[in-house]
Amino acid sequence: MIIKLGRWFNHKLKEFLYATGFLLNILKESLLFLKHKQVGFRVFIMQVLFTGVEAVSIISLISISLGAVIIVQGISILPRFGQGKLIYTILIIVIIRELGPILTAFIIIARSGTAIATELGNMVISHEIEAYLSIGINPISYLVVPRFLGVIVSMILLTIYFQFFGLFGSFIVTQFIQPIQFREYFGNLLTSIQVVDIISSLIKSLVFGIIISFVAIYQGFTVQMSSTEIPQIAIKAVGQGVVLCILADAIITLIYYL
Amino acid sequence: MDALIRLKEVTVLSQDFKVLNKADVTFPAGKSTVIMGPSGCGKSTLLKVAAGITVPNRGKVYLREANLFRLSEKKLLSFRKMNGFMFQDAALWANKTIFDNLALPLQLHHRELSSREITHKVNTLLEIMNLDDSVKLRPAQLSLGERKIVSFLRAIILDPAIVYLDDPTPSIDHAMLENMMQMIKELKDKGCTIIAVTHDAHLTSMIADYLVILKQGRVVEAGEFEKVRKSINQEVIATISEVLSEAATYDSDLLDLMGG
Repeated sequence: MIIKLGRWFNHKLKEFLYATGFLLNILKESLLFLKHKQVGFRVFIMQVLFTGVEAVSIISLISISLGAVIIVQGISILPRFGQGKLIYTILIIVIIRELGPILTAFIIIARSGTAIATELGNMVISHEIEAYLSIGINPISYLVVPRFLGVIVSMILLTIYFQFFGLFGSFIVTQFIQPIQFREYFGNLLTSIQVVDIISSLIKSLVFGIIISFVAIYQGFTVQMSSTEIPQIAIKAVGQGVVLCILADAIITLIYYL
Repeated sequence: MDALIRLKEVTVLSQDFKVLNKADVTFPAGKSTVIMGPSGCGKSTLLKVAAGITVPNRGKVYLREANLFRLSEKKLLSFRKMNGFMFQDAALWANKTIFDNLALPLQLHHRELSSREITHKVNTLLEIMNLDDSVKLRPAQLSLGERKIVSFLRAIILDPAIVYLDDPTPSIDHAMLENMMQMIKELKDKGCTIIAVTHDAHLTSMIADYLVILKQGRVVEAGEFEKVRKSINQEVIATISEVLSEAATYDSDLLDLMGG
């Protein structure tokens, strides 16, 4: 039992050290991306298109729905306690600081995390990675870095979009329930928002972007020889991505309140 | 013998199975070496180790006198740039067109070439192989034989100094095969180092200066083609017979068949 536990721990430690080395390698190559950009820039643009632009419709739907739910609930409950103005603070906390980044992260995990993991896994099986190596292309700089940076950039931009659209959507819904002047609504929002809210949100989206892309890429490269491994690594990419994003979210929020 | 690549006691493991077991092989510069052995004996792995694609679990690989897997990133890159590798299963990039599969190595390593020059070079090669109407297709839209031809063209498009051919001839139709054989012969005449894994007696007789016989991950015999072909080692004779009888389609003395 103790030997088994020791072996398990040893294996996990090795895996962790390997993953850390892999991440450092990606970060190093990311810094060199500008130098390699002629090679991987097209892949980067394609990744931003897939992860960012193609997710706009679903992000719009979710953000506008979330904004609407907050407004409907807030307007019906808060005035009873004489706290009608608190709706703006709640909108800021929920849409900008908390749910905006994490919901965007979940959508990117579901769409791009699985896509990257399965695509890379398939490339390993069909020896396409070896083909890149054989002609002198570093798969990290050509395949990994553009995807890594593409997901991070998309994550940040989509989070900002989610926040704007969520706040704008809630304004539209307000017009149906309790019409309010555009200037008054956004004026109240601006007085409720603090710079630290925006910084916290940007840090979260950056960290989530790194987690999602790294987990998906790492899982993709763990495929060894069989196509039956592909669905398994896709599930792992989703599971680990969600868990690590929630953990990171909790840590960043805790730091914010310390 | 001017050794270009040397494998010393190379062992490659797949889980606990020894795909290669203490293999010692030398590939001379400017010569053609053919690797033969029964299916599953580790030929492709040996080729990939020699090309620096697969890292062995044990043993060393030397490029001239330098340890290949200890080379700086820059030197390893320049080694790979002078290589061309044709894969057994083609290994074309599925999300790229046939044109892009062939153009990418040129775009990366010959940035001085204009897109017009790259298009011209790619189209010329495809025309030779009668694949010029496949330019815009994806690999999945081609037959295995056609994909292998494209893989061959990708391997030679950079005019490499070393060409690795992993089972190049099966699944390819007669006309294309003749063109490919002609191109391989031209590479050999130009002094290109060729390392080929094949069961094809005709290709072997056409290019082989050296022959490596592999069985169950072990190098049974390696040396000059004529010496190995005429070896009296029973294991060598049995292995060559087994390999060639898999490929031979007509009755003939198998060793004569290999003699051209």
